[in-house]
Amino acid sequence: MDLYSVTLEGPAPWGFRLQGGKDFNMPLTVSRLTPGGKAAQQNVGVGDWVVSIDGVNAEGLTHVEAQNKIKACTDRLSLTLSR
Amino acid sequence: MTHIETSVIYNDQEYDQYEYMVQEEEWDRDLLLDPAWEKQQRKTFTAWCNSHLRKAGTQIENIEEDFRNGLKLMLLLEVISGERLPKPDRGKMRFHKIANVNKALDFIASKGVKLVSIGAEEIVDGNVKMTLGMIWTIILRFAIQDISVEGKNYAVIFIQFKTIIWKDGLAFCALIHRHRPDLIDYSKLNKDDPLGNLNLALEIAEKHLDIPKMLDAEDIVNTPKPDERAIMTYVSCFYHAFAGAEQAETAANRICKVLGVNQENEKLMEEYERLASQLLEWIRRTIPWLENRTPEKTMVSMQQKLEDFRDYRRMHKPPKVQEKCQLEINFNTLQTKLRISNRPAFMPSEGKMVSDIASAWQNLEQAEKGYEEWLLNEIRRLERLEHLAEKFRQKASIHESWAQDKEKILSRKDYESASLTEVRALLRKHEAFESDLAAHQDRVEQIAAIAQELNELDYHAVAEVNERCQRICDLWDKLGTMTQKRREALERTEKLLETIDQLFLEFAKRAAPFNNWMEGAMEDLQDMFIVHTVEEIQSLISAHEQFKATLPEADSERQAILGIQNEIQKISHSYNIVLSLTNPYSTIKSEGISAKWDKVKQLVPQRDQALQEELARQHSNERLRRQFAAQANVIGPWIQKKMEEIAHSSIEMSGTLEDQMTQLKQYEHVIVNYKPNIDKLEGDHQLIQESLIFDNKHTNYTMEHIRVGWELLLTTIARTMNEIETQILTRDAKGISQEQMNEFRASFNHFDRKKKGGMETDDFRACLISMGYDLGEVEFARIMTLVDPNGSGIVSFQSFIDFMTRETADTDTAEQVIASFRILAGDKPYILAEELRRELPPEQAQYCITRMPAYTGPGKAPGALDYSSFSTALYGESDL
Repeated sequence: MDLYSVTLEGPAPWGFRLQGGKDFNMPLTVSRLTPGGKAAQQNVGVGDWVVSIDGVNAEGLTHVEAQNKIKACTDRLSLTLSR
Repeated sequence: MTHIETSVIYNDQEYDQYEYMVQEEEWDRDLLLDPAWEKQQRKTFTAWCNSHLRKAGTQIENIEEDFRNGLKLMLLLEVISGERLPKPDRGKMRFHKIANVNKALDFIASKGVKLVSIGAEEIVDGNVKMTLGMIWTIILRFAIQDISVEGKNYAVIFIQFKTIIWKDGLAFCALIHRHRPDLIDYSKLNKDDPLGNLNLALEIAEKHLDIPKMLDAEDIVNTPKPDERAIMTYVSCFYHAFAGAEQAETAANRICKVLGVNQENEKLMEEYERLASQLLEWIRRTIPWLENRTPEKTMVSMQQKLEDFRDYRRMHKPPKVQEKCQLEINFNTLQTKLRISNRPAFMPSEGKMVSDIASAWQNLEQAEKGYEEWLLNEIRRLERLEHLAEKFRQKASIHESWAQDKEKILSRKDYESASLTEVRALLRKHEAFESDLAAHQDRVEQIAAIAQELNELDYHAVAEVNERCQRICDLWDKLGTMTQKRREALERTEKLLETIDQLFLEFAKRAAPFNNWMEGAMEDLQDMFIVHTVEEIQSLISAHEQFKATLPEADSERQAILGIQNEIQKISHSYNIVLSLTNPYSTIKSEGISAKWDKVKQLVPQRDQALQEELARQHSNERLRRQFAAQANVIGPWIQKKMEEIAHSSIEMSGTLEDQMTQLKQYEHVIVNYKPNIDKLEGDHQLIQESLIFDNKHTNYTMEHIRVGWELLLTTIARTMNEIETQILTRDAKGISQEQMNEFRASFNHFDRKKKGGMETDDFRACLISMGYDLGEVEFARIMTLVDPNGSGIVSFQSFIDFMTRETADTDTAEQVIASFRILAGDKPYILAEELRRELPPEQAQYCITRMPAYTGPGKAPGALDYSSFSTALYGESDL
C-alpha cells in the first residue's frame, strides 16, 4: 500500500477515467489513463485507488460526489492515491 | 705686741741641751758668790720644791737642812719625774743618808745629767751652795730642759734670758698674758709700777696658775740684778704651768681628743647598744607578729593582713634595714676607730653582739619568709575555701532545685490506670529519668567531695555545709529507692499489660480468621448456586459434606477463642487493672462470634435441603437433555446429508437444467415433510430452555445449529433452485446451449478447486488464462470488479456465466446510454429538462433532472444538464 500525491495543473481534462464509488460498493479507482494526458504525465497508475481529492477523504463518496468534487477543481487538482 | 713679747717669740732653732748645760755649769761657780742671789735662790728653790713636794704631801722649810737625809730629795725626784726610785734606806746613820742622797744623785745622773762636783756628802753635810746647785741642776734638768712649747725648745729663751727685763714685772705679766689673756689686761699695766706689776703677776700666778710666790717682789725691784736662777726657776714654773697648761691643754686636748674619741666611741658604743637594743627589741616585737598563725575567716581580712605585711615590707622594714646597716656601719666604724686609736675592740654587751644581731635578723627574715608563705598559703586556702564554698552552694542549689519535685513525680501512681502504650511511655520516661538520675549521681558525689574538701580545709562555716550536704545525700538515697520502686511497679504493670495485650493479640489473630471463616461459611451456605449438571450439584453436595466435617474442629477453635477472652478477664480482675477491656487489635467480640456460630449451625441443614432439591432438578434436566440429544443427533446428520446431496447435484452436470430442477423439487418435498421433526425438536428445546438448560453434552448439535442448518437447507434448496432457474433464464436469454452450459460448468468445476460452488480470485484468473484470455493486471482487476462487485473474493457460477456471456453479448454500456441521451437531446452535448420530461416517463425524467449535474462544457445554455457524466456515473465510470 503506497500512498502518493499528485498535483495536476489545470485546466481539465485531467486524462483519466474514474470508476467506483460508495453507491457501487467499489472503491474509487483509476480504471483508464489517456496516454500522454496530465494524469499519465504525473505517473498516475491504472488501478490505483483514489484516497483523497483536494485533501478531502474520498472514502464514502458516491461516484457522482467524487466526480463533482474533481470537476470543481479547475485550476489545480490535488489527489492522494494508493497503488 | 710689746717689745717684750716679741722677744718672747720663740725661736725655731733647737739647742743642744748638753751644750747649754755645760755653759750653765760654768756660770754656776761664778754666780753663787752673791748672797742676795743666795737668798733669792733659796726662797725660789724652796717654793719650787714645795710646789712639787706638796703633791707627795710633804714640805720643806729649810732647803739645806731638809734635804740632808736624802729622803725628801728622793721623794722630790720621784714626784717631778713620775718615776720610782729605789727604796730609801731607813736608817739614821750618816751612811744611810749618804746612800739615799746617792740614790737621788744616781737617778739624776741616769737622766743624762752630768753632776760635776756635787757629792752626796756635801748634801748630807748641808752645804748650801752645793744643795742649791743640786736643786738648780734638778730644776734645770726636770723643769727647764723639758720645756717645749708647741714642739719648740724654750731653751733659746734662756739665751735671751739675760736680755729680758724682768725687773719691771711686765715680762711676767706678758708671760701670763701670753698664755692666759683672760687673767691679765696687759694694756692697763703701767711700766712705771714694777712692784705693782710684779705683785700682780705673783698674785695671779699663785692664784690662778698654781705657782707659789717663789720670788719676793721687793727683792727683785730693789736688787739691781736679781738672781737669774731664781727668776729662771720661777719663770720655768710659768713655762711649766703654761706648758703644763699647754701640755695640759695638749694633754687636755689629747685627753679631750682621746676622751672625745673615747666619748665619741662611747657614744658610738652607746649608740650602737641603743640601736642594737632598739633593733633587737623591734625584731623581738616583730617576730611574734610574723609568727602569728591565727587564721582569718575571710579572704578579705587575710588580704588585709597581706596588705599589712606589704606595708611592713615597704614602709616599716626598710628603715630597719637601714638601721641595721647603720648599726653595722657604726660597728665597723667604731671598731676601726678603736683600732686606729689603739683601743681595745668594742665588745658589745651580751646579746647585742654582731652575731646576735645577725642571727636575730636572720630569724626575722626567716620569720618574714615563713609569714609571707603562710599568708599566701592562707590566702590561697581561703580563696579556695571561698571558691569551694561558693561552688558548693551553687551546686547544692542547682541540685536541690532539680530534686525538688522529683519526689512528687516518683510517688505518682499514674501507671495504675494506663494502657500498655502509656505504661511503656512511662517506662521510657522513667528510663530517661533514671539516666538523668545517674548523671546527677556524679553531681551529688561532686557536692559531697566539695563538702569533704571544705572539711579538710577547715572552713569556718563547715557545719552548715555538712548539714546541707547530709540533707542532699539523704534525699538522694530516698530518690534512689523511690526510683527503684517505681521502676519495679512500672515493669510489673507493663508485664501484666503485655500479657493481656498478647492475649488480645492472640484473640484477634484467631478470631479474625475464624470470623472470616464463619462469614465465609455463612455466605457459602447461603450461596446461590446455579448448576447445570448433575455432577456440579453433586460436587456441591460433597463440598457441603466436607464442610460439615470441618465443623467440629471449628467448634473447638471457637471455644479456644472464647477461652482467651475469659483468660483476659480473669487476669484483669485478679490484678485490678482498671483499663477498658476493648481489644485494640480487633473489633470482633466474643458475643459476635457466638452469634455467628449459631447462625452457621442454623444454615447448614437449610443448605442440605436446597442442595437436595437442586439435585433432583438436575436429574430431570439431564433427562431432557438426553431426549433432545437423541433427536438432534438424528436430525443434524440428516440435514447435513441433504445439503451435500443438493450441493452435489448442483455441481453435477448430469442431465439438463430441467432435470436438475426436478431433482431439486424432490429434495424440497422431502425436506418439507421432514419439518415435523424439527418442530418436535423445537418443542423439546423449548422445555430445555424453560428449565434453563444451556448446554447439552450429549449432542454437538444445538438448536441453533439445527435451526440454522434447517433454514440453510431450505434456503439452499431454494437458492439452488433459483440458480437453476436463473441458469435456465440465462441460457434462454443468451442462447447458450446445454453443451456450452456444460462446458462452462466443467470449467467452473475444474477451477473451483475447493469445490465450494464458487471460484476464488486466483481460480478465476487461472480459468481466464486457460480460456485464452491474456490479461494484464489492470484488465484483470477491471474484470474482477465486474464479476465480483461485492468484493467477496468469490466468483459465483452465475457471475462466471454472466462474464462469459457478457463479452459476447450486447449489453448496455455507458456509451450506449450516452448515445441514447444524445438522440433525446437532439445531438446536443447537453439536455434540457423539458426534453427529459417530454421523452421519459415523469418519474424517470425527474430522477434524471435531479441527478444530472449542470453542463459546464462549451456552448452551454441555461438549464443545460450533463447527461454524459450522469451516464458514466450510472455505470460507475467517469472520464475526467
